Amino acid sequence: MEQGVEVFRALADSTRRALLDSLFSRDGQTLNELCARFPEMTRFGVMKHLSVLAEANLVVTARQGRTKRHYLNPVPIEQVANRWISKYAARFTSALVALDEQVAADPETEMSRKAETA
Amino acid sequence: MSLTAHVYQIYIGATPERVWSAITESEWTRRYFHTTEFVEPPKPGRPYRTVGADGRPAIDGIIEEMRPPTDRSPGRFVQTWHTLYDPELSDEPPSSVEWTVEDAGEGLTRVRLVHSNLERSPRTWENVKDGWVWILDSMKTLLETGHPLPRVRDDESVRQAVSS
Repeated sequence: MEQGVEVFRALADSTRRALLDSLFSRDGQTLNELCARFPEMTRFGVMKHLSVLAEANLVVTARQGRTKRHYLNPVPIEQVANRWISKYAARFTSALVALDEQVAADPETEMSRKAETA
Repeated sequence: MSLTAHVYQIYIGATPERVWSAITESEWTRRYFHTTEFVEPPKPGRPYRTVGADGRPAIDGIIEEMRPPTDRSPGRFVQTWHTLYDPELSDEPPSSVEWTVEDAGEGLTRVRLVHSNLERSPRTWENVKDGWVWILDSMKTLLETGHPLPRVRDDESVRQAVSS
């Protein structure tokens, strides 16, 4: 099966995206640590979501002694991006996104923007 | 917060033997690894050094383990990693890069890359974080299509292009 399909399916769920966010902010968490961050979910629920993420290759586990740690693997997301965006354009896009965020974060430009549209 | 390892995994439509060559042989690395190549063929237990196409030093360290993949066991290539391409990074202590190359069935090879021992190398940690993603994707593209990913213009020129 095309790998992209699994990636999209895994990312379609907000809980799984939240799990990835959690690993993005702190990579290498154990199952217990992840469960503690999602008290509203059962341990079984967290494990189930993690296995969908692992099947999509978005989460990779590695053993450190007796501890199993979970790591965010960004490679499939890059591959999805490369499918439609050339590397050159991708850098351009991210520069533009950064520029937009910068403008949005600056209250003065935000005000002049509003004035323009008013 | 302590800096943890970076862990990456990619599936490549090539035999483990070809992937192993792509990691350990200069004829391959110079095509996808920012033009870098081994000055001498890497040997287990021996120091190594890589240079870019312009001859500038890139990385050096020791090859700690070098076991090609067989039918029964995955390939392992373990190197210490000391950056030479950026003086700010070369001040930091060597870290560790471990490649594992394993037959994943259905004509695919699973490559796992763990970059660890980065606790005292925060700048290297940050620098390689996204860099490895591009390297792995480029290696996959080269092995599967015969062409690497196109070279990227550096961020600075893009920033200038955007702001002008």
